[in-house]
Amino acid sequence: MVNNGLKSSVTTDREFILGILNNSGDTLNKLYKTHFAMVLQFILNNNGDEDDAKDVYQEAIIVLYNKVKQGDFELSSKLKTYIYSVCRRIWLKKLTQNSKKTGNITDYEDVFEVEEDVEHHEEKDAAFVKMQSALEHLGEPCKTIIQDFYIHNLSMQDICEKFGYTNTDNAKTQKYKCLQRLKKIFFQH
Amino acid sequence: MRNDLELDAIIEDYLLGKLNPQETEAFEQLRRSDAAVDHKVVSHKVFLHTMEEYAQQLLLKEQLDSIHSEIDVDSLVAQVAPHPSRIVQLWRKHKSAIAVAASFIVLSFVSIYSIQHNSQQTDKYVQLSNQVTNAIKTQNNLIRKINTNNNTVPNKAGNPGRYGGTGFAISTNGYILTNLHVINGADSIYVQNSKGESFKVKAVYTDTQYDMAILKVSDKNFSYLSSLPYTIKRSSSSIGENVYTLGYPKDDAVLGEGYVSSKNGFIGDTTQYQVAIPVNPGNSGGPLLDNNGNLVGIISGKPDQTEGAAFAIKSKYILEAMRAIPQDSLGKKLVANKKSLLSGLKRTQQIEKLQDYVFMIKVY
Repeated sequence: MVNNGLKSSVTTDREFILGILNNSGDTLNKLYKTHFAMVLQFILNNNGDEDDAKDVYQEAIIVLYNKVKQGDFELSSKLKTYIYSVCRRIWLKKLTQNSKKTGNITDYEDVFEVEEDVEHHEEKDAAFVKMQSALEHLGEPCKTIIQDFYIHNLSMQDICEKFGYTNTDNAKTQKYKCLQRLKKIFFQH
Repeated sequence: MRNDLELDAIIEDYLLGKLNPQETEAFEQLRRSDAAVDHKVVSHKVFLHTMEEYAQQLLLKEQLDSIHSEIDVDSLVAQVAPHPSRIVQLWRKHKSAIAVAASFIVLSFVSIYSIQHNSQQTDKYVQLSNQVTNAIKTQNNLIRKINTNNNTVPNKAGNPGRYGGTGFAISTNGYILTNLHVINGADSIYVQNSKGESFKVKAVYTDTQYDMAILKVSDKNFSYLSSLPYTIKRSSSSIGENVYTLGYPKDDAVLGEGYVSSKNGFIGDTTQYQVAIPVNPGNSGGPLLDNNGNLVGIISGKPDQTEGAAFAIKSKYILEAMRAIPQDSLGKKLVANKKSLLSGLKRTQQIEKLQDYVFMIKVY
């Protein structure tokens, strides 16, 4: 029985990883729902609220996701333990930043070393935040044009129609003007 | 400005691979020859990469948010949130530790209970009485009940005593010390000497704290005693000191010998010694003497389960009790720290001298 349970757990973890590699929305959905309660309990019992739990958990999922996508994730332990460890590390850092007491963290799971992964994630997240704030500084309509083109992958034709430019060249010119400003803001910071 | 925009467009097309081979060739030529253009290409490449990652993360976050919105967070919170009560919270956190602690406590209680249960047996105190003692009392008196149906017990007063104990003279003119519990509740009290003569006595002083009573012979037939053979010991006795007592557990005087076995008495009672002397109901109030004939204490009781042990009130409390009697009325009285007449005598001779001063107390 124990062996079977272990096997099925490992298989499920494998399935999760394969699902992430295959961009399966279902898998991500299942993965997310499987471990949220654990993290929620951890955060709530360590000076956090459910919003903190959501933020920390999503960061952890992103860390896992990126690591899997980069292809250097080795399933050396249960996914559950990995996610818990990452959440714990992130939450400890947040607590320290807010100078809340971190003396006695109440643990619910085993923990292992994830410092490198979390640091790597923080670098990425810094770039993310930088881009986000640059976009915020850009203002409308540039922000939406840039987002539509680079993030939502709309064609210049679509953008031209959406914003009512007389022809795509005008739209293009506008886009490059916006892009220039955005780059200026982005590289300034 | 216009040129800049065109250059940006070309760079982006170049990076995205939208230029045809000819254009690519031409642009790469330009890039090699113009460092400023090359720098722009590199920075735009970095920018595009960042933008791409930003787009990916943003989409992922949106995806996660939509998944999150499907979760019923509130009900989960109710399940796993720290309980408002700290006790429940502690319980959840330390379930296993609490369980271990609880079982330890239970175990401790069981062992403490069993130890107490065993030691309770030695803790009860018997005043060695054959009186039907008060049921509430934890100590039984060493009072001997005289069997009223037994006609072989001679009694000069012609009236059988209900119960009895032992007492001893503290002066030559008829003051007798005994335990208060021996005479408590008495209608009338008689003392009987070793020759079998009875004299009526009155209680002139009682001390409930130290369980002592002083009786005075009121009988006209009582002839004064010759000087007291024993003296009172003011200092306390050491453990191991040989002691003996003479008492009336039956109608004849009985000698009990032993030693001081503990400096404190019943449950650490500092007013008493514990002595290793076999005593019986009727020994209560008997004098406890050392080998030199110094009065060490008064036998007052024994632990109800331990055989061979007895308790004796320390002699210094006898002195205190005696101070309560008008000193001039005592006549030739018991003195402290004077060499006693018993000193240096054999035990048999000591008893011979002593027995005239030890009385059976009969209470009606």
